[in-house]
Amino acid sequence: MADGKVAPVDALSPASKAWGEIGPRSAAPHWGMVVDQERCIGCWSCAVICKSENDIPLGMWWNRILTEGDSLDQPEVVRGGALEMQWLPLACQHCENAPCVKVCPVQATYHRSDGLVMQDTDRCIGCRYCMIACPYGVRNMNWGAPDRPTPHETGMVGARPLGTVEKCTMCVQRLAEDQVPACVWSCPAGARVFGDLNDPEGRLATLIREREGYELLEEAGTKPSVRYLPPRRRSPL
Amino acid sequence: MSSAAPPITSDAPSLAGRVDRRALYAWIALLLAVMGIGAAAFLYQFANGLAVTGMRNIVMWGQYILFFMFFVGLSAGGLIVASAGRLFGVGAFKPITRLAVLEATIAVILAATFILPDLGRPERIINILLYFNPTSPMIWDIAIVFVYMAMSAFYVWLYCRADLARRGSWLALGTGTSERTMAREERVKSVMAWVALPAAIMLHSITAWIFGLQISRGFWYSSIMAPMFIASALVSGLGLVIVLALILRRLGRLAFPDSLVAMLGGLLGAFIAVEAFLLLAEYLTALYPGAPEGEAAARMLSGPYLPLFVFEVVVGLLIPFLILSQRRLRTSPVWVATAAAIGIFGIFVHRLNLVLNGLSYPNIDLPPGLPVGTPQVGSSFSVYTWYVPTLVEWLIVAGILAFGALLFTAAVAFLPLQEPDAH
Repeated sequence: MADGKVAPVDALSPASKAWGEIGPRSAAPHWGMVVDQERCIGCWSCAVICKSENDIPLGMWWNRILTEGDSLDQPEVVRGGALEMQWLPLACQHCENAPCVKVCPVQATYHRSDGLVMQDTDRCIGCRYCMIACPYGVRNMNWGAPDRPTPHETGMVGARPLGTVEKCTMCVQRLAEDQVPACVWSCPAGARVFGDLNDPEGRLATLIREREGYELLEEAGTKPSVRYLPPRRRSPL
Repeated sequence: MSSAAPPITSDAPSLAGRVDRRALYAWIALLLAVMGIGAAAFLYQFANGLAVTGMRNIVMWGQYILFFMFFVGLSAGGLIVASAGRLFGVGAFKPITRLAVLEATIAVILAATFILPDLGRPERIINILLYFNPTSPMIWDIAIVFVYMAMSAFYVWLYCRADLARRGSWLALGTGTSERTMAREERVKSVMAWVALPAAIMLHSITAWIFGLQISRGFWYSSIMAPMFIASALVSGLGLVIVLALILRRLGRLAFPDSLVAMLGGLLGAFIAVEAFLLLAEYLTALYPGAPEGEAAARMLSGPYLPLFVFEVVVGLLIPFLILSQRRLRTSPVWVATAAAIGIFGIFVHRLNLVLNGLSYPNIDLPPGLPVGTPQVGSSFSVYTWYVPTLVEWLIVAGILAFGALLFTAAVAFLPLQEPDAH
């Protein structure tokens, strides 16, 4: 790579490389993701590897795991006094009707032809209108100079400039190598599935159909490319 | 002060009347010093990023946007009053027309200036021209701000032109005062009033739509935003015109009868009533169902927002309305100025509430919340944040306000603000 970084695909062992391959897709794919809340164990692996893969500075997260209920590490008391724990992994939803793309005054936030919402940090003027418009709160501003825990850059992508907004890119640097995003690759519970929403018989479409996948904040009409699969049975503690 | 104010010599080339020259120079020196400190604070912010402000990922708009919309309101309000006075033939407004138009011009210049420190990359502002996105309300707003700025500057010049020509000032740009020119000027003024009134209304509506079109912000997403912005613009804009007019009269730069003060005071009272009515309509609609959609409005009535809400309604609306509804107090310039000043501050608090409550609570408020955006001790997440501006933000705001005061002082010194046929 131009900036001397190791291409992610070369950093993987042949086995994990094969395991991370995107797989079948339609002629014109619309990339999307399914997050299975039944499988998620709330371990934050995906959030941490996201920080590492994308070299995200301290204080910023593109991907985070929310706990349903009032407390991060306590189960929720549900009807009947039973205890339950469930998580909501949250990152950019790559909306088809993206409010951020609509409001960006300089078209620094835009759609790729494969449906992904991208951020051009070389054009962004740092007005933060996209953060206002985003109903999910997944965008981060580079408020100050990036601060990292070690002097060594861990990421596979270049640093973003001060004063610009950044967010999840669905690991486009990995997609270019035919590899799934880092969060999908790293999930120990297999709770994340990446694929082509345009393929009617593909894994995503099938899972969404069979498991009654839902859109987060559906009432906002954003048509997200990320869908959530609700747990089929609750497992009270 | 009564209607027996000393006669004004409208062709006086500099600040005359009761202003001491040394006091004037001291005032200008003070303004320049505050502007210098503001510029230094801006450079500091430019070098270190917006991390030096109180803004973070949750409340990502703060002081600068607040002052931006406040000054847009001051501007729109002034021009609406001035052009409506001409359109509907309210001759009594004539003595303050020039002042109202001047106030509108300077306020919109300040509003545009407040955008600059709000940007994370102010040096890239040219991208707004190079890559403008036609679906962005911010682009609509920037367009109307510049159209409006040019229009109101032309409006000021149009009103002062003949007097400047009589003085032989180069500011008349070579125009004369022949009968034909004067007749044409009257026609242009009438056309301008027709253009200025809708432009002023659009300016504030579009600013409202920056906020009101965002479905992501429940407290803002309402069709009442544009009408309410107009109402609050009228209160604060007319309020500022009243205060400035009374100050200039005290300084001997403007003459108008007390009857005009009473009339403007009455109008201000009516505008305050409209603002209160729209506020009532908004809160009743939001609160009545007791549904999650009304959560943000309900928040205003409890917790840390309650004092701000009480201030907005009781101090900002009720007290000035009560003052202005008394005929006896309305004829007293001191009382009208007091009511106007309180009203302006009330509108400022109204806008503060809009920004704070609109942003402090994210839609998805599950723990641990949103990443704050900068390194901090303990968790890097927060579910709610309360925004407090930093010293840097205050210094930059003070610098821009001083810039506006300097523009106004210069305009008062060099422009004939008195309509010659006013008395």
